[in-house]
Amino acid sequence: MIFWLSFWTVALLVAGVSFACITAVVTVRGVSDLREMFQRLRREDPGAS
Amino acid sequence: MTHFTGVDWVIVIAYLAASVTAGLVGKRFIGSVERYLVAGRELSLYVGIATLAATEIGTITYMYNGELGYKYGFASFAAALISGAVMIVVGRTGFVIDRFRQLKLMTVPEYFERRYSRGLRLVTGVLVALGGILNMGVFLRIEGEFLTIVSGIPVRYLVVTMTVILLLELVYTVVGGMVSVVITDFIQYVLLSVATILVTAYAVYYAGWGHIVQKVNATMGLAGFSPIASPNFGLTFLLWQTLLWFSIHTCWQTTAMRVFSTRDPQTAGRVMTWTGFIFLGRGMLPMLWGIAALTLFGAGPMVNGAPLPVVNGQTLAPIDAMPAMLAQILGPGVKGLVVAGMLAATMSVNSSYLLGWSAVISQDVFLPMRQLMGKPPLGSKAQILVNRIANLFVSLFLMFWGLYYTPPGAVYLYLNITGTIFLAGAFVSVVAGLYWRRANVVGGYAAMLMGAVGAVVPFFFLHWSENITGMISFGLAAVGLVIGSLAGGRSPATEAA
Repeated sequence: MIFWLSFWTVALLVAGVSFACITAVVTVRGVSDLREMFQRLRREDPGAS
Repeated sequence: MTHFTGVDWVIVIAYLAASVTAGLVGKRFIGSVERYLVAGRELSLYVGIATLAATEIGTITYMYNGELGYKYGFASFAAALISGAVMIVVGRTGFVIDRFRQLKLMTVPEYFERRYSRGLRLVTGVLVALGGILNMGVFLRIEGEFLTIVSGIPVRYLVVTMTVILLLELVYTVVGGMVSVVITDFIQYVLLSVATILVTAYAVYYAGWGHIVQKVNATMGLAGFSPIASPNFGLTFLLWQTLLWFSIHTCWQTTAMRVFSTRDPQTAGRVMTWTGFIFLGRGMLPMLWGIAALTLFGAGPMVNGAPLPVVNGQTLAPIDAMPAMLAQILGPGVKGLVVAGMLAATMSVNSSYLLGWSAVISQDVFLPMRQLMGKPPLGSKAQILVNRIANLFVSLFLMFWGLYYTPPGAVYLYLNITGTIFLAGAFVSVVAGLYWRRANVVGGYAAMLMGAVGAVVPFFFLHWSENITGMISFGLAAVGLVIGSLAGGRSPATEAA
């Protein structure tokens, strides 16, 4: 049981920390990604407002 | 009388207004069916991660993972670990997704016409739409349960509340397709992630890590920690879950649509890899909330190895323990933020699923049928219209089926089995189609048929366990594919692929 408890504790820490870190990065960098996506879509279709 | 204060209502209503308004922006960019279904294939890394994660994290995900954690303790973490690890492997190796992205597909069944035949695309389209919609059919009810328990909205308003939410997400999905869904997914991803982190902190603080471990040990013993020792899991479960998650991460329409929408195969791989890490938390964190609910409220009679939750003197079902805990431990403001986060999760999943399944109905069922009947192909605008109508039909079905049907057993396993109806055959046919030259249309039909029969008959008629049913379904699909392909000889379609 000790093995499994230690294993799941480490897995949970990795899961929680990576979830929080990736969220932070995506929140900041995603905005510029979206803006660039709009620009490309507009460029390819000048009819878009 | 609700559990909500004025601040909570303001937060929730502001979120709903912002989300729908942002979603409507997408309409400006919809000029072709490719933009409507795959956002013009313009997704970059970060927004790709946000939309993929938001698509596959819903209130339904929190509910079924919370239920798994409550019933099976830490052993349930195995399912989350497998889902994340498999996604990372798929992302790193490019297994299936690399080739899929190169082919510039819009739906998974479209591949079946390219590799096998139009008829097989039609059959696959029907099975994918059927399995996918049945799968999604339980979402609204379970999500509504969560909402009523946490917010305290009376149950008699459940149907009205969920119908309003469905209509809101339908508005922007129908109007702006994938572009709108991507925009709203980004906002919803940020909000649902904040809510996830907040709830995790509250759950561990209130239940206490030491008490959590102690409760699982006292209630379940080793089975609460080891997925191999757990009578509900075992090696069959681990193997089936591995196969299932490989098939989901490659052939599940809503996930595959994100791969098809990325700028190039490299971006698709990177999106998958990083979202794989999010998938670890997507499973384990709500499972932990379920275990915390067990610790705080698991005082009722034992049923299938776990005590029923008792909250304020009322005995509940295990799936309701987690939301009941949130209703108790979250304070004003935080509760509004968490409910807004869960609504965000609900809307992001539902809008993506509406788009995904309606795309299959229009592109892989309606259009091939027209062509088989000898009618001329439809233009881009007409295809968008068909997609929008299909969206409305799926929504109507969900409103009636989703709010009145109650799934038997654990929700997670019900979802797995309804998905397996088409996933087993589709996954085997796709992998063989991409990596085995001898695979042919006869093998493809046999795989789809035997995979579906293997999922439906053992589970619904023989009442065998989900683990065995899942393994049989994948096994039969593989046998069907190999025997059918060897018996069918080399078809022109195979030579051309």
